Amino acid sequence: MTALLSVRGLNLNRGGRQVLTEIHLDVLEGELLAIVGPNGAGKSSLLQSLALLTPARFLSYAFAGRPLPLAGGRPSRADGLALRRQLAVVFQEPLLLDATALENAASGLKLRGVNRKEALKRASAWLDRLGVGHLAGRHARELSGGEAQRVSLARALALSPRLLMLDEPFSPLDALTRSALLHDLRGMLAETGTTALLVTHDVTELAHLADRVLVLEAGRIVQAGTPAEVLAEPRTDLVRQMAAIARQTAAALTPLAGANRSGPE
Amino acid sequence: MQKWFKFAAPLLAAVLLFGCGGSQPAATPAQESTPAAQSAPAPAKQPDLVPGSKGEMILATTTSTQDSGLLGVIIPLFEKQTGYKVKIVAVGSGQALAMGEKGEADAILSHAPAAEQKLVDAGTVTNYKQIMHNDFIIVGPAADPAKIKGMTDSLAALKAIAAAKAPFVTRGDNSGTDQLEKSLWKQASITPDTAWYITSGTGMGKTLSLADEKNAYTITDRATYLAQQKNLSLQILVQGDKPLLNIYHVMQVNPAKFQKVNAAAGEAFVNFMVNAETQKVISEFGKEKYGQQLFFSDVK
Amino acid sequence: MNLFWEGFRQAGLMLARRDPELLQIAWTTLRISGLATLISMCAGVPLGLLLGLAHFPGRRFVASFVNAAMGLPPVVVGLIVSILLWRYGPLGFLHALYTPGAMVAAQIIIAAPKITGLTMAGIMQLNPRLHLQMQALGANRWQTYWLLIREARLSVVAAIMAGFGAVIAEVGASTAVGANIPGYTRVLSTAIVLESSMGNYDVALALCFILLLLSYAVTAGLTLLQQQRLIGARVQRGGWWS
Repeated sequence: MTALLSVRGLNLNRGGRQVLTEIHLDVLEGELLAIVGPNGAGKSSLLQSLALLTPARFLSYAFAGRPLPLAGGRPSRADGLALRRQLAVVFQEPLLLDATALENAASGLKLRGVNRKEALKRASAWLDRLGVGHLAGRHARELSGGEAQRVSLARALALSPRLLMLDEPFSPLDALTRSALLHDLRGMLAETGTTALLVTHDVTELAHLADRVLVLEAGRIVQAGTPAEVLAEPRTDLVRQMAAIARQTAAALTPLAGANRSGPE
Repeated sequence: MQKWFKFAAPLLAAVLLFGCGGSQPAATPAQESTPAAQSAPAPAKQPDLVPGSKGEMILATTTSTQDSGLLGVIIPLFEKQTGYKVKIVAVGSGQALAMGEKGEADAILSHAPAAEQKLVDAGTVTNYKQIMHNDFIIVGPAADPAKIKGMTDSLAALKAIAAAKAPFVTRGDNSGTDQLEKSLWKQASITPDTAWYITSGTGMGKTLSLADEKNAYTITDRATYLAQQKNLSLQILVQGDKPLLNIYHVMQVNPAKFQKVNAAAGEAFVNFMVNAETQKVISEFGKEKYGQQLFFSDVK
Repeated sequence: MNLFWEGFRQAGLMLARRDPELLQIAWTTLRISGLATLISMCAGVPLGLLLGLAHFPGRRFVASFVNAAMGLPPVVVGLIVSILLWRYGPLGFLHALYTPGAMVAAQIIIAAPKITGLTMAGIMQLNPRLHLQMQALGANRWQTYWLLIREARLSVVAAIMAGFGAVIAEVGASTAVGANIPGYTRVLSTAIVLESSMGNYDVALALCFILLLLSYAVTAGLTLLQQQRLIGARVQRGGWWS
């Protein structure tokens, strides 16, 4: 089982403050790796650093077996751009452009050089799969939170990324929408075998989606393992709380880590 | 770094643009430059030269020569005869002479003899020639509260206005007209009181409008009054008195004092203004439109 | 009232018979103000974008400077530029005084801060994470900048209209550096002042109507542009930018 993304010695310093310290991690091919931690732990910063959106320093950074040449711990701008074009990121907010849902869904593809017709075709297909095909012609500002986030997901998945990164994508949504989206996402990921990195607060997401979990606290990884392992032996308060919630609804939340997914165990 | 090029390029273009702007001759105006049509004088006998083909000159002059329309007639003639392009900077006499003192003009056409003389004495200007005159008139409301209508003594008229505390508009802009008006008050030994003495701070045309609006008296040159008459209800009340004479001189800014002055053009302009043909044009100006000439030739 | 009607009628007549002076003045106006706005736009929009996006020490100072410059009185600009361009002034060697070029330069000084400041404000109003999302989607620098400007297009076009509107109408700077020379630096605004000081109110009003018409035509065109969506589509595709 190979590591799609392999990072060693990641350090991020922002305005004199050490946000991330000596992070080493691997994201294995086909898995969904969850990152949990309290507020301010640096989860979003970690995701952005891994996506080369924020200038962090690395000891080493390898993607799909290819290490990136680093100068002063940082990859070149060209390499960064090339790498980002193999990823897709979904943020907490949909962050759509001032255009229709279809144009938004196609925007990622167009940026990556796909011709307009093809981009619209693929985008349209993904909107359908995410259940918002009927909103293709609707303008972004007329979409509800859940609908917009589906469009954002469609935009990301349409790119057929090698690695999908999600930063608390469903947290601003209500419980019902959240659970529906979760369900759909799980299906998509299984179907396409896409590797994913998910930053989350949500126990359900953790339990239902993640193959492995990393616990981040004050910029350091303090625990790692399968969801079952981590919840059974929590080392931080947050994870303790999550475990408690998990126990309270034990029946519904039996960890299914790995069972639905083809590939890694 | 390409970002900076996006800045530099347009700025560079601008610098080049206005750098080149100085040497380009303008398209020859086909006829009168101002939409207000004046009767075109007889064309020059020699073939017309392209204005600007021989260079440019800056003429500092007064608003009255422009507002009356005279410049619009004689400048194109000069340009065609000599090939110089004239940049007319029409400001008050005070400013025109100040430009001369800085060497920022090549020739001056103004009507403030006392102030001009200072420049002549200082050697700032040369080739000082009197070319034309007209007169100032005192105009005012038909009601004439100060009862000055028909008076032949301008100083007495001003005293009457002061005594009646009738509203009076002054230009207050150090123009030739303004300087003359202030000198008249001085000669009459009166310091006008701001209660009835209104300063307009603008050119003759607007000053007349203001006086009309306020039913006030004012001093104006005849030419501008005639040109504006159709819009005014002011009447001519006092005229013909010697102190009301309005004398125009043309002069060159001394090239010996200012190297950057276009000496050839300045000289050509002075010569043009005093030659018989031009003087004829000046004398004819306004006859057709107003039934009387606006400027009287002073060159024998 | 009669005078307005007379002016309106005169405007119509002058246009109908394609009055050569009028066309010359109108063309000069468009040329000078159009060029000034174009240059101000090319410099101002990117600068406004950068200022809106960048976080560097002293940004607030630069921003306040730009905002202050938006309110520069045109007549002040005119006086200062003319003094600089005087023969014996520091830029006298350019021989640029009383030329259309000088007017363009003065108008750039008036319009550029307005365009920069309003673009900057428009960009600052965007969701700060949008920039991040664009990058995450794989947009290179130029694609990102273009997309953000498109997102803020309402503000950007408003900025350009403000810049254009300011310079096509102003008189103080144009007179000071241009001297209203017929056939050369005479534009609609300065011609209006001249005609009214000569007492030709009908002609002055006619020119007013034409100036309004011209200004409206350009603004209407820009407004249509604001609504257009197709422009961004092709650029978004990346092509040789990627």
